[in-house]
Amino acid sequence: MDLEKFKVHGEPLIYGAMISIALATIGILVGLTYFKKWGYLWREWLTTVDHKRIGVMYIIAALLMLFRGGVDAMMMRLQTAAPEMKFLDAQHYNEVFTTHGLIMILFMAMPFIIGLMNVIIPLQIGARDVAFPRLNAISFWLFFMGAMLLNISFVIGGSPDAGWSAYFPLASLEFSPTVGNNYYSLALQISGIGTLMTGVNFIVTILKMRAPGMTLMKMPMFTWSVLITNIIIVFAFPVLTVALALMMFDRLFGSQFFTMANGGMDMLWANLFWVWGHPEVYIVILPAFGIYSEIIATFSKKNLYGYTSMVFSMVIISLLSFVVWAHHFYTMGQGVMVNSFFSITTMAIAVPTGVKIFNWLFTLRKGRITFTTPMLYTLAFIPIFTIGGVTGVMLAMASADYQYHNTMFLVAHFHYVLIPGAVFAVIAGFHYWFPKVFGFRLNDRIGKHAFWWIAISFNVTFFPMFFLGLMGMTRRTYTYSEESGFGPLNMLSFVGAVGLAIGFVILVYNIYWSTRYAPRDTTGDPWDGRTLEWATHSPIPAYNFAVIPKVESRDPFWESKRKNIPLYEDKITKIHLPNNTGKPFILGVIFFFLGFFLVFSMWIPAIVAGVGIIIMLAVMSFERDHGFYISAEEVAATEKKLRGETV
Amino acid sequence: MIKQLFPIRHVIGYLASLVLSAAALVVIYGDLSDAANMTVLLITAIIQASLQLFVFMHIGESADTKKELYINIGYALFVGLITIFGTLFIFVWGWYA
Amino acid sequence: MKIDASKPLEYSTEENSNKIFGFWVFLGAEIPLFATLFTVYFVMVNRFADGPSGPELFEIGPVLAETFLLLTSSFTIGLAVHAMRLGYKKATLVFMGITLLMGLAFIGIEIDEFFTYVHEGATLQTSGFLSSLFVLLGTHGAHVSFGFLWGVAIMIQLWREGISPATANKTFIFSLFWHFLDVVWIFIFSFVYLKGLM
Repeated sequence: MDLEKFKVHGEPLIYGAMISIALATIGILVGLTYFKKWGYLWREWLTTVDHKRIGVMYIIAALLMLFRGGVDAMMMRLQTAAPEMKFLDAQHYNEVFTTHGLIMILFMAMPFIIGLMNVIIPLQIGARDVAFPRLNAISFWLFFMGAMLLNISFVIGGSPDAGWSAYFPLASLEFSPTVGNNYYSLALQISGIGTLMTGVNFIVTILKMRAPGMTLMKMPMFTWSVLITNIIIVFAFPVLTVALALMMFDRLFGSQFFTMANGGMDMLWANLFWVWGHPEVYIVILPAFGIYSEIIATFSKKNLYGYTSMVFSMVIISLLSFVVWAHHFYTMGQGVMVNSFFSITTMAIAVPTGVKIFNWLFTLRKGRITFTTPMLYTLAFIPIFTIGGVTGVMLAMASADYQYHNTMFLVAHFHYVLIPGAVFAVIAGFHYWFPKVFGFRLNDRIGKHAFWWIAISFNVTFFPMFFLGLMGMTRRTYTYSEESGFGPLNMLSFVGAVGLAIGFVILVYNIYWSTRYAPRDTTGDPWDGRTLEWATHSPIPAYNFAVIPKVESRDPFWESKRKNIPLYEDKITKIHLPNNTGKPFILGVIFFFLGFFLVFSMWIPAIVAGVGIIIMLAVMSFERDHGFYISAEEVAATEKKLRGETV
Repeated sequence: MIKQLFPIRHVIGYLASLVLSAAALVVIYGDLSDAANMTVLLITAIIQASLQLFVFMHIGESADTKKELYINIGYALFVGLITIFGTLFIFVWGWYA
Repeated sequence: MKIDASKPLEYSTEENSNKIFGFWVFLGAEIPLFATLFTVYFVMVNRFADGPSGPELFEIGPVLAETFLLLTSSFTIGLAVHAMRLGYKKATLVFMGITLLMGLAFIGIEIDEFFTYVHEGATLQTSGFLSSLFVLLGTHGAHVSFGFLWGVAIMIQLWREGISPATANKTFIFSLFWHFLDVVWIFIFSFVYLKGLM
């Protein structure tokens, strides 16, 4: 076998990355052995089917990926900070902006959101777990292994380097001969399958497992947003599955889908990519809307204004998100009629989005607002996201888009949409729900420091890009001349990026500080919450609710606190829970190897791995595992202990 | 026994699908215009798909999920058809000439 | 596990009816998957470059045989579920066995067809049209092949355990999958083969 193709040559930076990955891996392995944590790790985490633990693993993975994607971003900003910088070469720069996009969207924003919904949704609807706990574990491990596969590309074989959208013909074997785009197609495929199964799981969970009395129109807004999001996932991800499969066929088996000769059609890739890609934007943004709705209602001490219109605007957004995709390639060559159509549908999305913005503002109106850290992120989101939305309408006009297309203006626009619309939301949700999972709040003072660093630096980083774009700086250029005049604004942007990095460091420090010093919360309801997740203990017992609550309004916990309506009427009975299993993890590992072998066209090992997957599926089909019961006495004892009473 | 094992609904459904498949062959052996041919194909295919959905797959049999299942299939068809016709709109009918 | 006796066995527990509902949602995802493959095919259908075009390649004979096999197997899997609901284990197994054998025959004909195409110089690498044809047919064929393996696994479980809530649920879900493959085939039959030969 030719070992040469595994090697990545080049710069000290890559060797540095290799060494740091190797050291970190050795460090983790040694640490686990030294502290005798292998059994703990296996029993409590790798084999868990508990939605809360799976959610926490998603969020940890997302934070790690945020770090990786953030380092990529810093490298890009440094490289472009001044004219003719020599920090990265063109190839390395290509790899960095490609992985930055991929990681931030698919391996940071999505898993962060999926992690939050894993933790919160069953609690919000008063359920004991998701509909299919094992499938949930499989989803997580497929996502995780996909993410790992993409990450090792950096040191084994070379990263994808054709942009996160991997347009053909650039991404074809002819113009990208390294294995980088093989990694792209397989890593995304594996994690995409996991995401698709998450979608199925949560649709069934939300539609079939709600507490008695919780009709669809009494669901909390976050649950609604997650339902809509998962519907989009289920119907959009198959398109990506196909597109990636065709890409793989082109690159590995020489088919002619996106080639330049023999009847291939390179533009079809862009088309399919965005048929999925545009709904994907809403997959990361709609749950954010849900998180903000919860936070605004809680910290204004008011019920959400315009609940029904919120729901309908999300349904309309979900439908419209499937009919706008061509606005990503107005300049590709389709006729005026096509561009006009997609221009109009795109602008139409601004209407339901605007409805939501106004609903939030009306919820705030006359509310008793408390300015906590999550609330600050939410309040910052509204104006910043509006800038993103308005520049989006500018880009939506097909004729004007010919001017902005592929410039830094676009880069500024989508960061103005995605950072407040996804990153601020997951950070706000992280602060908001953190005490539910871990039993203590993150420190508010440090949290606010981080917030101001992040919010201000964000604008310093990205606002200059609007002007750079209008001045004619194209995106994805690794350097520019001094005469272009792009230097000063890029330097400003770099300064902003440093500020953002500082903000995130403070945020991480806050987790460390609060873990050590923050007072424990014994009430389970630190924010005076409104929805069911606050009606159980923190940290949450394995069975979530000792007794399934009865729901009579949209804010059942709030109503029960204000009007003394009892939430729990039934007596404690024995509770059924699923057993842990290691098979999802093993399946994920086999998928990882299948992907790896396919990346390098190692057919025999790949076939072996494929057979391994079929065997695992068969084993799981033949298995009969009926779970176990926690007795009523044991539940009652746990409840007492969690309330702080002596048993 | 035989009567019990071969319910009349299924038998009729099966025969209907065979007849419809045979009827669709008119587009090869008949002498219709292209538009008429496409109409024949569309009608026979849609009826056959509905037969599977309603007669064999019992989409409406469970009262508590009936509505959700129709919305599910409806949404899927919406996305599927939008993908097919939207793409044809971009690359074929609406391509810059 | 609470068993609700008023419902058919395959729906009888909450887990069971959730699984059926979840599988329907999954089939909902299969619709855009195949729609995308059809999209690619329709865009590529006239891009046959130097290779053969559809009308030059297609033969109606094997296609009719395939159609007949799949339609009949869809009928027999329906009968299997019907027999299962009546509690006839043996009849269920026989109908399911017939279904799977017809599935196998279908795969055999399809593989033979692919070999014929390749023999005539029409490969995956020849043209955009052929790439899209092979991948559309291949994806459907892969589904049928996977269905065959899955069906065998379920038959073994049915044979061993009899008709229980678990096996009834699996059998019913399998039947949904198999019917769905038939639906996809109807569209391949109509809009790939018949339209190509039109």
